[in-house]
Amino acid sequence: MLAAGAVLVALLLGSPPRAAPPPALTTVAEALADALGPPAEDRRRLALAVESRAPALAGPLEAALEGALARRGWAVQPARPGDRDPEGAARAAGQDLLLRVQGGLVPGRREIALVGEAIPTWPSFFLQARPAARAAPPRVVQARAEADPETQLLGREGRPAGAPFAVVRKLGRVPGRVLALAVGDVPPAGLTLALALPDAIVLLGPGGVPLARRELDLATLAPMRDPAATIAVGDFGAGRIAFQQAGAARGEVLALRAGRLEPAGALDAAPLCASSRARLFGAFAPGEGVLQDGLSTVPTPPAPRSRRTLYGAAAAPGGGPIAFGVLGTDLRLDLLGPDLGPAAPPLEGIGTGFALADLDGDGVAEVVASSPQPSGGERIRILAPRAPTPLLFESPPVAGAILAGAAGDLTGDGLDDAVLAAVVREPDGSLATDLLLVTADPREER
Amino acid sequence: MRARLLAAGLALLAGSARAGVRPAWGGELRVGLPAAPHLADPARAVDPADLFLVRAVHAPLLEIDAHGALAPGLLAEVPAPEEGGRVFRLRLRPGLRFSDGAPLGAPEVAASLCRLLARDPPSPHAWVALAILGAEEVVAGRNAIPAGLQVLSATELVVTLALPLPDFPWALASLPASPVSPAGAGAGPFALVAQDPRGARLVANALHPGGRAYADGLLLSAADPRGAARALAAGTLDLVLRPEAAGPAPVATAALLATVAAVNGPRLGPGAEAVRRALSALDRGELARLFARGPAEPLLTLAPAALLPAAPPAPAAAGAPAPPGPARLVLLVPAGAGEARAAAERIQVKLFDRGLRAAVSAEEPPRFAARLAAGDYDVALVPVPVLALRPALAAAEIALATRGPGAARQALAELGVAPPAELPARLDALARALDLVPLLATGERASAGPALQGLRPLPDGGLDPGDLWLLRGGQR
Repeated sequence: MLAAGAVLVALLLGSPPRAAPPPALTTVAEALADALGPPAEDRRRLALAVESRAPALAGPLEAALEGALARRGWAVQPARPGDRDPEGAARAAGQDLLLRVQGGLVPGRREIALVGEAIPTWPSFFLQARPAARAAPPRVVQARAEADPETQLLGREGRPAGAPFAVVRKLGRVPGRVLALAVGDVPPAGLTLALALPDAIVLLGPGGVPLARRELDLATLAPMRDPAATIAVGDFGAGRIAFQQAGAARGEVLALRAGRLEPAGALDAAPLCASSRARLFGAFAPGEGVLQDGLSTVPTPPAPRSRRTLYGAAAAPGGGPIAFGVLGTDLRLDLLGPDLGPAAPPLEGIGTGFALADLDGDGVAEVVASSPQPSGGERIRILAPRAPTPLLFESPPVAGAILAGAAGDLTGDGLDDAVLAAVVREPDGSLATDLLLVTADPREER
Repeated sequence: MRARLLAAGLALLAGSARAGVRPAWGGELRVGLPAAPHLADPARAVDPADLFLVRAVHAPLLEIDAHGALAPGLLAEVPAPEEGGRVFRLRLRPGLRFSDGAPLGAPEVAASLCRLLARDPPSPHAWVALAILGAEEVVAGRNAIPAGLQVLSATELVVTLALPLPDFPWALASLPASPVSPAGAGAGPFALVAQDPRGARLVANALHPGGRAYADGLLLSAADPRGAARALAAGTLDLVLRPEAAGPAPVATAALLATVAAVNGPRLGPGAEAVRRALSALDRGELARLFARGPAEPLLTLAPAALLPAAPPAPAAAGAPAPPGPARLVLLVPAGAGEARAAAERIQVKLFDRGLRAAVSAEEPPRFAARLAAGDYDVALVPVPVLALRPALAAAEIALATRGPGAARQALAELGVAPPAELPARLDALARALDLVPLLATGERASAGPALQGLRPLPDGGLDPGDLWLLRGGQR
């Protein structure tokens, strides 16, 4: 009875109402419609076939395109889903044009891209003997737009059955030993990787392309047996990049101006990490490359709470119930909430290269960690701290020694990825660092 | 600073396929040695245990980097030879202090070099400073300071040598050249706080110019082979440094403890030639392979093979029949020198095979040194730790230890500017001139417990205790 009533309401109101497509989809659909242009010679019947590897994206994208094309005078007929021969179907239905559109998120960029193939399907008087022949050559149209979070959500591809939770891929190699790294937006470059080397701060684009480098003055540092540094990308006032070297009196803030990293301020505390919602500060133990057991959300040196020392801290880029991870030199990782209170039981045996990243988009950050055993080979593990069986993934052996990590959306799918820095030795004996992307983005598995 | 950063990075990757755990500071490092160290004075120490203590307490003027090249240490730069290798300008890093807070400048460096030339008691490491102009006057007690030492400022001094020696900076990189404060403190990674016959306790020196040591403290004690292995397995020692392995996968140090036989020609008279020939005919490879407890290699000339640019010549074949040897002779060895004792017992057998009856006599080190200096021996087996990684300096060390300052100066004069291709022949000639028969060179094995990290033998056969660290900051 209820179902019959629902059908009646639908009949009275016409077709079921469709939600307004997200702005990014509207933008890219309008851009593709502009690229196609209005109908010519009164050939306005258009069959629209939209395909995407992300199943959730095809429907809303088709709706956005249908509206954009209709506004330009096209009479749009969406193709039947699963039609193996949309061109033949369009021809049989008497359509003038078939627009076959492939859409998806651009790997490594927060963009949605559409590529359309406009295929003439109107019957040609001169080609009556060959009904499948095209009256005119097809043409390609394409458009891009910045992807908003809703579009990233729709554009996310499902993980194939039996696929591992994540994949590890080398992003690139940088000369020297990376001591610390951070991921975040640095205007005007956008998403960047900020690397702290013993003698320089280096900024890379998400694909590993060098953007800027600033040499550091080592003469002002107190002697240090092993160099160490902290670095974070976030809101630090006049600049977005903050770092401190072990042995330095203060932290520094840098801003990217005209392709150069320039000083933009100083900090009284070491910037440990930052997310979209919070920053975390600490202090190096005097004469040591490790930190005192004290944390602060404001840039003032926190008082040490105990004699325990820390390797570093990581922030979940999007916050969440597990907002921070703090690793002690005892290799115990404390998982903290936004208020710095315990958010999950601590994890024992975490290596010094680690990150917090919500890889699967469930709203709770996973721990991406290196091996805690110096005598064995390096492996990357992904742990879900609140799960009954935390181990989600363990990589095959990885070359080098992973000493630093950070997280951010580097694949552009709207979910966090992790980047780990593995120090390796070059054939000439010098040191270099492999940057390893750890991601659950299924596009990286292909 | 950059060299230090590179060294730290390379140390991090020492060994293959090492996973990444950054060093942690903290904890007390417990080290077992062949004997309890009793000398922390770089001008006096010669035993392996004492040299380990010296390396913990003192800092050399120059360091040797991971590639085996000289690198700045307390000196801000590696001094370049001037005037044909006779003059060196030493510039210290500003603001240096000993662990006791005393300033460390050019006057302290000059004073420390002078200490090496002191007459009473003589330093076994006078070879470091013997080439300095006027050193003979100081050794003879006629002067307190050699004329070739000139302090220019708080951080700069000029050293003028009596003979050309381009490798002089390598002497400055050796442990004996480390400066010592007036109160006896050093500038090394640790400071000595307590010492007794059982061992020594040290704490990290916050003023160390290379940065604070990883460990908060260092506890050095004597450990016999079995006890060391048991302690390492039980976790009551973190590191054992002995000739024998005390645990799985020990790391061998460079074989730079040279053992040479000094033949007392005047005392043995015509019979000395038979003894020389018998010693020269020894299979030194067999001696190293079968009778040394630690890593060892034959010593074919007056410098370990690792220091030579080319293989030394094979021992000369015997010529005309030698006159009969002495009816009896005594092989003198220092008590406690295990490798020398083992070699002496093997040599005893070999001499008997050639018709020479020999007895082995062990003397406590001071008495051994006195008898050696007085010529009161037939054949002495002298262990000499080679601390400078250049053939001329190594030969000078051995010459000083066996034949005194004059022989050491002779070695420096004859080898200081020798072309590399001529070095093996000249070393051989010097050995014959000094009536020395090189026998073998030995090293040690470093056996580490599971928590110990940063184990990286230095090119000179030592370990920098400041670089050693404990996993989890030493939390047991």
